Order: sequence, then structure tokens, then C-alpha cells
Amino acid sequence: MIRVESITITEFRGIRGLALDFKGRSFAICGPNGTGKSGVVDALEFVLTGKVSRLSGEGTGDISLRQHGPHVDWRNNPEKARVTAKVTIPSLSKTVTIERSLKNPATAQVTPSDPAVLEVLRQVKAHPEIVLSRRELIRYVIATPSKRSEEVQALLHIDEVEQVRASLQKIANAREKQLVPLGTAATQARDNLLRAFGMSELATNRLLAAANAQRAILSLPPLADLAETTSLKNGMATPGAAQPQRIPKAQALADIRAAREALAEIMSDCTRTRVVEVTVDLNALASDPVVETGVKRQVFYTTGMELTEAGACPFCDTPWDLDGLIRHVRAKIDHLREVSLKCTAAETKIAPLIATIRKAQSAIRTVANYAALATPPVAFSAACDYSAHCGTTVESLAVLLPLAETIKVLTDVPIMPQAVLDAIGELEKAVAALPEPTKQDAAREWLAVAQERLEVLRDAMRKQKAAEEQARKARQVFDIYTATSDAVLTGIYAAVEKDFAAIYQFVNRDDEGGFDANLMPSMGRLGFSVDFYGRGFFPPGAYHSEGHQDSMGLCLYLALMRHLQGSGFTFAVLDDVLMSVDAGHRREVCALLKTQFPNTQFVITTCDPVWLRHMRTEGLVEGRSAVYFRSWSVDHGPSRLDDRDVWTEVDDNLRENDVRAAAALLRHYLEYTSAELCHRLRAPVEFRGDDRYQLGELLPAAISRMGKLLSSAKDAASSWNQGEIVGQVAARASAFALVAKASSVDQWQVNAAVHYNSWCNLCKEDFVPVAKAFRDLLGGFTCSDCGEYLHVLPERESVESLRCECGKTSINLRRKTA
Amino acid sequence: MTRSSRPEGTPDIPAQVFEEFVQALRGSDLSAESVALLRKALLEDRTFTEHALEKAILAEEPEP
Repeated sequence: MIRVESITITEFRGIRGLALDFKGRSFAICGPNGTGKSGVVDALEFVLTGKVSRLSGEGTGDISLRQHGPHVDWRNNPEKARVTAKVTIPSLSKTVTIERSLKNPATAQVTPSDPAVLEVLRQVKAHPEIVLSRRELIRYVIATPSKRSEEVQALLHIDEVEQVRASLQKIANAREKQLVPLGTAATQARDNLLRAFGMSELATNRLLAAANAQRAILSLPPLADLAETTSLKNGMATPGAAQPQRIPKAQALADIRAAREALAEIMSDCTRTRVVEVTVDLNALASDPVVETGVKRQVFYTTGMELTEAGACPFCDTPWDLDGLIRHVRAKIDHLREVSLKCTAAETKIAPLIATIRKAQSAIRTVANYAALATPPVAFSAACDYSAHCGTTVESLAVLLPLAETIKVLTDVPIMPQAVLDAIGELEKAVAALPEPTKQDAAREWLAVAQERLEVLRDAMRKQKAAEEQARKARQVFDIYTATSDAVLTGIYAAVEKDFAAIYQFVNRDDEGGFDANLMPSMGRLGFSVDFYGRGFFPPGAYHSEGHQDSMGLCLYLALMRHLQGSGFTFAVLDDVLMSVDAGHRREVCALLKTQFPNTQFVITTCDPVWLRHMRTEGLVEGRSAVYFRSWSVDHGPSRLDDRDVWTEVDDNLRENDVRAAAALLRHYLEYTSAELCHRLRAPVEFRGDDRYQLGELLPAAISRMGKLLSSAKDAASSWNQGEIVGQVAARASAFALVAKASSVDQWQVNAAVHYNSWCNLCKEDFVPVAKAFRDLLGGFTCSDCGEYLHVLPERESVESLRCECGKTSINLRRKTA
Repeated sequence: MTRSSRPEGTPDIPAQVFEEFVQALRGSDLSAESVALLRKALLEDRTFTEHALEKAILAEEPEP
């Protein structure tokens, strides 16, 4: 999508003012810990996305971008903190300047800002994964399957797949959940109907026979069939308005018996035992402070997700990037998944109690009608109140929260007020005292009650059937979605898995050339196992070393990015990602990035100069495409160790008559540069296992090596009869000899004026020529065109040429063979 | 809740999943209208809320 040409950072994080010229090429930032490397990474992420992942997300607590993004001295003035980047957009052949201030991180000044440019930058902003730190890298490797799935899905921008899966699952679960009360209602309706018929089983032919027997008493024609709309009372005269409604004595007594049984079930030992069990579970849940608030929060977050339509928080209207906000809230909901599972387990145990209470409530409602019809009416308010109480109890138990309330309600469940039992007893007496109806009246009453209950059952069954159909469809849709998404993701992960294994093999071909891996998606989880030297597949953290795990993280990231962005993978920042990887494998990583990702610009930070050297020797970064931070201070930020910066700083120090600072800087720079020169020129130096070489060991070796190489070059040119080149090399050799002599390096063991340990004791006038002599000396190692230090080729075996990065200086070292 | 379009040149994996899902639904018991509504929600509106999806799935189902 983009390549970064340059970046200018002002008062941002630990940086006061810094400009880096990437030139759209891979770039390395090297320096000891705490020298400001990550500040550059943060600035890159900030200018491209408006965010700094280090200052947000898990574990960042009270840290915020706006408050802690600016340099500490400007923490109350975020406007001062700004980052400007010049980027090229290859697909548009355009160069664009992006400027972003911490005063308004969400909005960047883009020049030019035509729609095509803004669209590309919006796409870049949607990909914060272009910045990879070790913290993020390891998440892909050692996370739990569900967490890894989230991370990888977020990286691949397939979190929407999981979002839909979760929604479909909730729909299916909710539809199945609603079957329970509907099933209870249908069962109660069936029981009521069976009671009216005086039967224990629902059989159409028996129902029909019983109804026809009653109809015969009334001289009504028999019913041939019991269809869905059949009325058992068909043809029976409707009672006149003035005719008082009668209590169907036999039916009423049966219903009163059923009510007694329902109440007895509530007071039974079985119910008491279940109440005790559920109370124990709920008390355990209530003792976990996360549960109560957790469930509330889950409902709140879920509602929030549904109400989030624009790029702002629906609660406080704070502007957010929409994707970021969704991810943020989703993470919170997922965090509460455990709480949700516990609550579901409790609800499952409570369900039978709810069914028992509903049964009692329904039974009381049925007999309450008889109490009203009795003459005189039977006082039934205690039973009616209890029925209402059953309703609120069911509601409380179904909602579950607040837990304290539910526990209290639960405790009261087996307690039956005596007044309820008394009221039912009175009603039973009143009904029993009723005169027996005539045969015809009894038949009429029987048919009326049976028809009424048949209709209730028909309605309950219709509702149940509709709900079952909904639940079946919802589950079918969910199953199809799960199978489809798993199949698609399996295909994607298979491709990523293959690429990952190939990349990892490339880096570890010395000892894991046969490496293989498995990525297995299933129901929102992503399993990851890797081959361990042919002994089987295991989780990456099981047997592989930390270094190998780091390496796996990077390889998986690269494979995912290549799959995700394809040719659009043009830029990535790798922030100290291979801390635990040894030097040999880092070198292979350089080769990997160089050869397998030739169109990607990598900005890589490291504290290891050896890795920086590997990046150079493998051609991943070119000579000028690196910066070395030597130190950092809160007042000045990072100090670079490159020509322009060092000589300017030395001059500045001398202008201020600070010889001590100038001398220290020059010495430090010469230590760094002489090691680099020895490496580039393959200068022989006495080996030190602790890598602690002295300037006095390195610089003379580099000078001597350069002199010999120039001498070899002169001989080589002579052997080829290249008179003009002989002259050019001779002139270069003479000039180099002069600057080497002026620096008097070979004398510094005896000459106090040129021994670096004594520089700080010199006065300004004495030190100025020393600084100039060394500046000239280092100039003798460079190409006059590109200013780069020369290096020999090849890196091993016989030297063939002395070259620079730009190719303008190319001095042959091979003699013509006879 | 809707999402913006994704970067040009990058594979739209969710769209691929949704497309195949909708194709697979055509062989299910779901009505053509429901399939069309789901397709619209997932691929055109990119709306993934429970409410929107449930409305599409149960478009022709009578309320219990």
C-alpha cells in the first residue's frame, strides 16, 4: 500500500526532534536499551494510524495516548507533539505528506488529499498490524486456542466471521431456551385436558369416544373425527345470558385434587433438596464479585455493540475508530464468557423448580374460577395471592440477578402459607356440597370444559410447534454457518500453514529442514501445533526453545500478512522482535526478509549491532539505511551516531569550549566506526571472545588494511596494464597515507596529544586539529560520491574488489593471472 | 453495526465465508426470502447484530 520515505518527529514520546530519511527502503535503528528506538516505532505507528498500541490495550492501565504521548516536558500541551511522514503510494505513483498532532490524533493533515490518497491512507489506518513488537508476536504462538483465534482473526480482519458465529449461536440458544416454558405450558394444558376426560394418556380415538358418549346423552350426532378445528360442543345450544354459570362438580373436584397435588409437589422433600442444592450453587456464585457485575456488564456491552453505529462510543460520545471500538468491546464481552457459563449452569439447575412453580400457579388459577362461581363465593384471596407470588418467583428465578434476591426467593419456594391450603380445603367442601347435576347438565358441563381445555391445548401446541420450528431453523443455520466458516477458514489456514512452515524452514534450515505445522480452526478456536524434530506435533511452547518460539511468531506473522495483503504488504515495522533468537538465525531472518519479501519495506529496531551488521551484509539494509542511537537524555532525546550528527555535535561542543564532551563523542564514534571499518574491510584483528575491542586495536588495523588494499589494487591494475587506474589508485593511496599520518594513530601510544585518553585534557585550540585529522581520516575510507564507507567483496575467501554502496567506487583487487 | 470496506487488493475473507454460507443455505429448509435477507444483511449491509440476523432467519416464521 505505502512506503515511508522519511519521518520527522517533534516532542513525541522520548524524542525532542528527529528526522530520519528512509528513502522508501528497509531501515534499521540500532542502539542500546533506552536510547529512543521504540519512540521511532511509536511515531511511525502514530502518524500512519493515529494510535500507539504500546499506550493502549491490555496492561496499559492509566496510560493514555493524549496524556503520555507527548514528550514529558510537553505533557500538558499535546499540540507540540507531532509527527510528519512523507510516504509514497506505488499504486497511485504519488508522494504524500501526512502530519498528525497529539492534540487531535484521529485527524491527519494529508497533502495532497485527493480521495484516492485518502482511501489508501484509510486502508493503512485499518491495518495497525504493520507494527509488530515481541509482545504481539508471542501472542500468535503461546496463546490459548481461543485467544490465538481472536488475535489471528483480528490480524486477518476476519473477526466479523466470529462475530456472526457468536450472533447465530446466541439466536439458536435463545430459541431453544424459549421452548422450555412453552413445553411446560403445553404439558399443563394436556394434563388439564386429560383430567377433564378422566384419562391418563392422550389418544384421539379415546377422546372422541368419550366426547361422543356425552354428546349421545344430549342427543347430539357423534363426531366422526377430531380434527384441528373440531368442536366437541358442535350443535349444543349456547346457554342464555340470564342463565347463571354453573360449577361442573366432577371436573371441579378433579381440578382441586390436581391443585393439591401441585402444592404438595412444591412442599415435597424433592423440591426442598433441589432448593438446597441450587442455593449452595448460587451462594458460591454470589461470593465471586465478578459474577454479579460481570453479567450486568455483559448485557451492557452487548447492548452497546448493537447501538454502536457511528464512530463514537454510544455512552459518552467519545470519537473512536469503529473497528477499534468493536474490538475493544468484544474483548470485554469475551472476558466475561466464563461468568456466562457459570450462570448458564445455574439456570439449568433452576429450570425444574420453575416448572414445578408454574404448575402450581396454573392449577390455582384453574380452581380460582370455581371459588368465584360458588354460592356464596368462597374466600380465595390467599390462594390467588399465592398464585401471583408464584408468578413473581418464576420471573426472579428466570432472570437470576441480583443473586441475593434470587437466593432469598429460592429459600421461600418450599414454604406454603397455611391460608392457601385452607382456602383450597374450603373450596373443596363447597364444591362437594353442590347437588349432583342431571345427566344432561353433567354432559353439557363436561363438553364445555373439555372443549375449553382442548382449545387451550391446541393453542399451546401450536405455539410450541412454531417455537420448535424456529429453534430447529436457527440451529440448522448455525450448524451450516459453523461448517461453512470452518471449511473456508481451514482452507485459508492450510495456505497460511504451508507458507508458515516454508518460511520457518528457511530460517531454521540448519536443524529443522523438515519442519511442519498444523493450524486447526474449530468453533471459534484456532489450534496450533508444530512438528518437533519428527517426534510428533505439539504446542509450540511445549518443547521448542524461546528463540524458536520468537522465530515462529515472526514467521507466522509474515505468512499471515502475505496472505492478508498479498502484493499490498509493502511496509512493516519489526520492533525488537527477535530478542531470543541467536545471531546465526537472525542472519537467516535477514536473508528471508531480503529474498522472500523483496517488495516490503521493513523498519527494524534492535539493540544488537551484530544483527545490524547482518542486515547490511545480507543486503536487507543498505549503508545509509540505518541509524545508531548511542545515548538518550530526557532533555535532548536520542543522540545518533552518524557522520552528520557527530561532526555537527563535535563542532557545537567546541564552540562552547566543551572539549570534554567533544572528546568523549569523538572517541565513542571512532570506537563504533573503527569496528565497522574492520568488518567492512575484513581487517585482521586479534580475536577477543568477549567482543570488547579497544579503539587502539581496531583503528590501526583498519588503517593498515586500507593501505594494503590500495596497494593490492595498484598491483592488480598494473597486472591488467590499466595505467590510468594505477594512477587513480596511487593518488588515492597517497591521499589516504597523508590523512592517516595526520591523525598520528600509530603514535598515540607515545604522543599524549593524540592519545584518546588524554583528549579531554586538551584545550580547545589543541583539540580542533585532532578532530579535523580524524574527520579527514574517516573520509579516506569513504566513496567521494555517496559518502559511504567502502567494503570489500566477497565477504569470505579471496578479496576481489573494494566497493561502495552506490557503485561509483569499484576498485579491482584481482591480479591478472598468467 | 456496520463495518467499512476493506483495503483494496486484500482478500475479503468474511465476504468469502458469508457468500459460501448463503450458497449452503440454499439447500436448507430456510425460505428463499430468508436466504435473500441474510445475504443482504451479511454481504450488502454488513450488519451482524443478533437482531438483524434473527429477523432475516425467522422472516417467515409465525411468532409462537
